[in-house]
Amino acid sequence: MATSNEAKTAPGWGQRALIGRHPRRTLVRIILLAITSLILFRYVLLPVRVSGGSMLPTYKENGVNFVNRLAYLFHEPRRGDVVAVRLLAGAHRLYLKRIVGLPGETVAFHHGRLLINGQPLAEPYVKFPCDWNQNPVPVGPDQYYLVGDNRDNPREGHEQGRAARALIIGKVLL
Amino acid sequence: MKEWTIRILLVAALAALGIWGWRTLHPDPEQVIRRQLQEMAKAASFTAEQGLAAQAWYASSLPEFLALDIEVTLRVPGVPATLSGRDEVMQLLTVSRRVCRSLRLRLPDLKISLAPDRTMAEVYATGEADVTYASGEKASFLQELRLRLVKVKQGWIVQQVETVKTLT
Repeated sequence: MATSNEAKTAPGWGQRALIGRHPRRTLVRIILLAITSLILFRYVLLPVRVSGGSMLPTYKENGVNFVNRLAYLFHEPRRGDVVAVRLLAGAHRLYLKRIVGLPGETVAFHHGRLLINGQPLAEPYVKFPCDWNQNPVPVGPDQYYLVGDNRDNPREGHEQGRAARALIIGKVLL
Repeated sequence: MKEWTIRILLVAALAALGIWGWRTLHPDPEQVIRRQLQEMAKAASFTAEQGLAAQAWYASSLPEFLALDIEVTLRVPGVPATLSGRDEVMQLLTVSRRVCRSLRLRLPDLKISLAPDRTMAEVYATGEADVTYASGEKASFLQELRLRLVKVKQGWIVQQVETVKTLT
């Protein structure tokens, strides 16, 4: 009789595989994992999917990446960083662009060459040359100048320009 | 002890019901605007699978979201830069139904600011459009928009739409 009761109460192998020997501990572990994932992927490493080709060939369309939201906790963004910028209405869609101009500088394009304060900047990441021309644009004290790596389209059709520091939400991780 | 638990649960349920009732009778203007703009995006969208009657039915609800003297200033390739009045907007939509197989409009982000007297609202919106042209070619557009809405008897209507940019 006792043996029969034990057989009834002991969890089967399927149940053990699914929820473990101690269901309460498993539940606590699941809750902790869910909370950790939520905090990690919302406030630390934001997962993003690349849409569009403005960062080609550095980032291909439909590629998955992460934005490190803590990257600028102890220092300000630097030239050459690829950053995520939130739009004016919210952060469900982001721009992925490279910082080329820092606060206080001027940014211009002359026959496709990027000029910072009138001096050409070496851009090894640009693989598609362009023929853009743009008069010097002053970057404000709390702004950064952003542009995509793919310049193989008319300047007017390429989203680029100055963004307020507050809109930069982090640095692209990979 | 059990009786107290039941009483507390009953009071909590009544309070929740009261809050729900109050919110239903006095909806938050931001929520109303959000819902209306999403409905407007849905009404302007159409698919190849929809019959003409279905398309016409959806489109017929569009004018009620737009002011008669609406001003639209867009920077979208292939679309007129400015549209004045509801008729011009509706005309553009009719043309788009002719040249496109499908159009899907979405507003993934809305940032709403109400005027102090709560009769006007300024809305920043991220607008996304997936278009399939009659030739089968597909294109996607992303636009950042600023909308001005005014309160009327039956809700909120859009009075002004213009393209704005994060990167200036």
